[in-house]
Amino acid sequence: MRRQNRLLAILLGVLAALVLIVGGLSAVLLLNGGPSGGGQQAGGGTSSSGALQLSGGDPITMDPHLAGDSGSAEYIVEVFSGLMTIDPKLNVVPDLAESYKVSEDGKTYTFTLRDNATFHNGRKVEAKDVKCSIERAASKKLGSSTASAYLNDILGATEVFRGTSEQMSGIDVVDRRTIKISIDAAKPYFLAKLSFPTAFVVDCDQVQANPKNWTRQPNGTGPYKLKEWRLGERIVLEANDKFYAGVPKLAQTVYSFSGGSAFTRFQNKELDVASISVNDIDAVRDRNNPLNKMYHVDGEFSISYIAFNTTVPPFDDVNVRRALGFAIDRAKITDVTFNRMLVPATGILPPEMPAFTPADKALPFNPAEAKKALAASKYAGKMPPIEFTEIGGGAEGRTDTQAFIEQWKQVLGIDVRIRQTDAATFYADTDAGKLQMFNAGWIMDYPDPENVLDLKFYSKSQLNDIRYSNPKVDLALEQARVERDPAKRIRLYQEVEAQVLSDAPWLPLYFAQSHTVVSAAVKGWFNPPMVIPRLRFVTVER
Amino acid sequence: MTGYVVRRLMWMPVVLFIVSFLTFAIARFGPGDPVAVAAGQIRDQEVLQRIREERGLDGPMVQQYLRWVNRAVRGDFGESFIQRGYSVRELLVPKMWISAQLNILSIVIVFAVGIPLGLMSAWFQGRWLDPFIISALLFLSSIPVLVVLPPLQWLLAIQFNLLPVGGWDGLFAIWWIGDVVAIPIPDPHLYLPLLVLTVPGFAGVARLVRVTALQVSTEDYVRTARSKGLPESAVALRHVLPNSLLPLVTVVGLSLADILSGAYFVETLLGIPGIGSFTFESVRSRDYDVILATTLIVGMFFIVMNLITDLAYARIDPRIRLGTGART
Amino acid sequence: MTTASPEAMAPGPAAAGASASRSPSSLFWSRLRRKRLAMLSLVVIAVIYGGGILAPVLAPYSFTEQNLDRGLEGPSREHWLGTDRLGRDMYSRTLYSARTTLVVSVAVLVSGSLLIGNGLGLLAGYRGGWVDNLIMRAGEVLSALPGLPMLILVNAALGPRIIQFGGWVEQHTPFGGIAGPFSSYLTVFGVLSLFFWVGTARLVRAQVLQLREREFVLAAQALGGGTIHILWQHLLPNVAFLVVLQLSATLGSVAGSEVALTWFGVGVQPPTPSFGAMIFEGSGARTFAQHPHLLLVPGLCVSALLFAFALLGDAINDVIRGR
Repeated sequence: MRRQNRLLAILLGVLAALVLIVGGLSAVLLLNGGPSGGGQQAGGGTSSSGALQLSGGDPITMDPHLAGDSGSAEYIVEVFSGLMTIDPKLNVVPDLAESYKVSEDGKTYTFTLRDNATFHNGRKVEAKDVKCSIERAASKKLGSSTASAYLNDILGATEVFRGTSEQMSGIDVVDRRTIKISIDAAKPYFLAKLSFPTAFVVDCDQVQANPKNWTRQPNGTGPYKLKEWRLGERIVLEANDKFYAGVPKLAQTVYSFSGGSAFTRFQNKELDVASISVNDIDAVRDRNNPLNKMYHVDGEFSISYIAFNTTVPPFDDVNVRRALGFAIDRAKITDVTFNRMLVPATGILPPEMPAFTPADKALPFNPAEAKKALAASKYAGKMPPIEFTEIGGGAEGRTDTQAFIEQWKQVLGIDVRIRQTDAATFYADTDAGKLQMFNAGWIMDYPDPENVLDLKFYSKSQLNDIRYSNPKVDLALEQARVERDPAKRIRLYQEVEAQVLSDAPWLPLYFAQSHTVVSAAVKGWFNPPMVIPRLRFVTVER
Repeated sequence: MTGYVVRRLMWMPVVLFIVSFLTFAIARFGPGDPVAVAAGQIRDQEVLQRIREERGLDGPMVQQYLRWVNRAVRGDFGESFIQRGYSVRELLVPKMWISAQLNILSIVIVFAVGIPLGLMSAWFQGRWLDPFIISALLFLSSIPVLVVLPPLQWLLAIQFNLLPVGGWDGLFAIWWIGDVVAIPIPDPHLYLPLLVLTVPGFAGVARLVRVTALQVSTEDYVRTARSKGLPESAVALRHVLPNSLLPLVTVVGLSLADILSGAYFVETLLGIPGIGSFTFESVRSRDYDVILATTLIVGMFFIVMNLITDLAYARIDPRIRLGTGART
Repeated sequence: MTTASPEAMAPGPAAAGASASRSPSSLFWSRLRRKRLAMLSLVVIAVIYGGGILAPVLAPYSFTEQNLDRGLEGPSREHWLGTDRLGRDMYSRTLYSARTTLVVSVAVLVSGSLLIGNGLGLLAGYRGGWVDNLIMRAGEVLSALPGLPMLILVNAALGPRIIQFGGWVEQHTPFGGIAGPFSSYLTVFGVLSLFFWVGTARLVRAQVLQLREREFVLAAQALGGGTIHILWQHLLPNVAFLVVLQLSATLGSVAGSEVALTWFGVGVQPPTPSFGAMIFEGSGARTFAQHPHLLLVPGLCVSALLFAFALLGDAINDVIRGR
């Protein structure tokens, strides 16, 4: 009998202990100003003093030389800066550089640094810092996957990249404020490339002192300092009062990562800016809704497309690709599945991109044309099985994909099978050229058509994951790289775009748009089509 | 007894070895690797290959595994492939702590509510209250979390704006009375996850307690007690109740063993930065070292809790002989 | 299917009514029939499973038929349960999802996860010694692996190969139409049973550990009864309540795990419609606020099915122990 009482006692004891453990530990956390207490204060205390509340997510890295994703770039462009930047009007303008000169042959750039440019810790930015940063970015040791795409025009970059040299022969430190960069050919888009984080300036001393963890408290040159980064919780950026282009008006920005719909949190006044999901868009579009005045729609340099591997049956036949393109009604499907939150792509180059033309150049929805193209293909009547792969998180194919598949079936009588994979499998399979057709997207990093056309369609480009090859396109792309007459260069890219659309290795689907609501207290907010520094142009008045 | 414990403890490394090897093998067998995922849209194959070499992803699998074991036994779980510059330990500890808090709280609630309901149900056997309690609980446990969460979120967070839609802000919030008196209250972020984590669990505990209680009440010693003329309430309290809780030891043990593995759906849907949603992300992006470390830590905890459960069981009920193997 | 499950459970545990002249299973039936809740549950299960079986006959539309002009409509005369985002008929999709659940349930019964757990638990508890050690340690290894992440990994690693195999089966055997879409699910559930027998086994073992010292077991041993005989005749009836609780729970939870697994993308593969896929489409608080029928229709079906199984399990439990 005593035994049983002991059991009861033990059980109750365990329960009591658990309660105590939880309570005790939390109390300790609380006393130490743990997550709960600290968070509350940070949130409440600063919002009144003019801080901006945004939602966000953990960056993959805060190292500008390693970052290749726009999520990380969002923070990096505020904390770091480089010789060049892109202003809100999308012009490529000098940043750390005060001015630059281009040599007669277009192959040598001489930059003069700003006299007042400093790191966050007050140290002056000198020419050697620029050199050291670019060499670090390209170094074999760092292993940045963006380095060769963004820096390989500089003479000697390949040697640094391969590890045969530490110094980049194309970079010359002339004096403390002057640096000369020589590139392999007169490439008009080189300056734009320098505005990408891969070419940003880091504090080499700091990196050397703490090669692993320096990004936790980076000593950048940008308008904001990384004040706090709590993994999975929030990032706080604080104005850099020594910023060379003037002290930013906005004192602080808090990006909170915690869950829940951003729109709901916006309505609860927890956020100043929120993106809108397809479910809320109708409410916001309603002119009678007070939120309508806070609603912004802006284009993004980003395109979704269906890609065909042009070396795999049946997509080695241009007619099959075109048939599939003619058979889908993108406009209708955008309407239904995305509630007009994306724009049907008119081609490959999105609006605001140089060489963009408003005419719809993509294959139109035309069932008769589709059937004709299919009949003309060598696979007519003996279509091999087709598998359509996309990155998917769950049970169903993307809604638009399901609609496309149904249309191919109805218009062409072709059964396409969906396959959903995780990102790891998807990348491995695309890189190995294993996929027949897949859903993909491309985000342009700088406003130059080269950033998509040359990278994705040049036959020898590493990023040409569809094995597309057309000598005519190759030739035009090679010419455009070094064409110094802007008008002519744009014409070349327009020709390339038209040719690619006609060859249909891609079926362009949509250009992305950002749909946001911005609180009335926030002045000067804008949604650029690509990641550029913007916080310093914003003010908050409460 | 001591011998048994020692034998079990000696067995532990073997289990962990098998567990980690299985995880390693399954993770590496699949296509794709985290290096490509981390790179994003610009994947320079030459660089990716270089990173793979540097991180030891090339070369024979067995050698890679042994290298990992060699580091792991010294407590070095490596570095995340995705969250660059962060060690696996740094990533896991805070997330596990969040999940553990949530899970322990919900276990406490499940048992604190489930046990009385089960006993009550058994006590009222044959009357309407018994089937009422059990069916009500059964119904609550029949609705999948995935189905019940969106309506709850909509109702409580959006429509009536009572609770946050999701997220995590620690266990306590401070409730200020006139900026002077600070009263810690359970953080409002807790209510929704706790609600959906605990309510479906009541039925299981209550039903088990009820079934055992009814079974126990027909046992000889209970009948003896009754025939001695003890009042029914005393019988229930002294004999039925303690014995009814016996099978719960296993259940408590099993649920405690799981506290570090997180609640996948709830964490994912409510945006709680716990280990559950994180494990899911790591698996999808093949963050090898994170997956291995998670498996190993969760596994180790599980085994220890298992051992403790068995020992507790043996202490409580000496009729159970542990590890005396000499039966035919 | 509906009637098969209780009958399948009947022979072993029904030993409670050894005195009756009628066969244990008919006795079981007559008792179960008196439970109104149990009968109601059976009706619910029958309706849902029956809808699944008869889906091709009952469904007014094909489950893939889209009408982009009529997406997201509420219930109407043409579409009894409304339409989804692509204008597909929710009623038809629900019927076909029930069909999927049915096929999956059969798959689980075939994979024998119930037998493994209960059998090994009995054996471990009774034999003790190295048998117990082996089984429990193996269980420890398996249950120390986190199930869901492992499933996702296994699915990623083996998925492509299995789908290939499914395609082969479809072309070379008469199982066309079923093998393809379900091949990956069958594997997933095979793996799942590998992980999930442990809990059952531990519960059963714990109970047997108590029982094996009892007089009736000792007596049977003294009389020279073999292991199998004692397990079957003496121990199984006494752990029957645990077995039955597990049984009913397992049967019901198949429907539940279909939802969970499909939601994580490792269950039924598109375009096969399933409750998991439908719930996935309708989830999210905002979606629910705008188009509640997307979630409610599949959600209520699954909840009803799960509840019916739970009630049924409870009733069977009572019947077996003679109340």
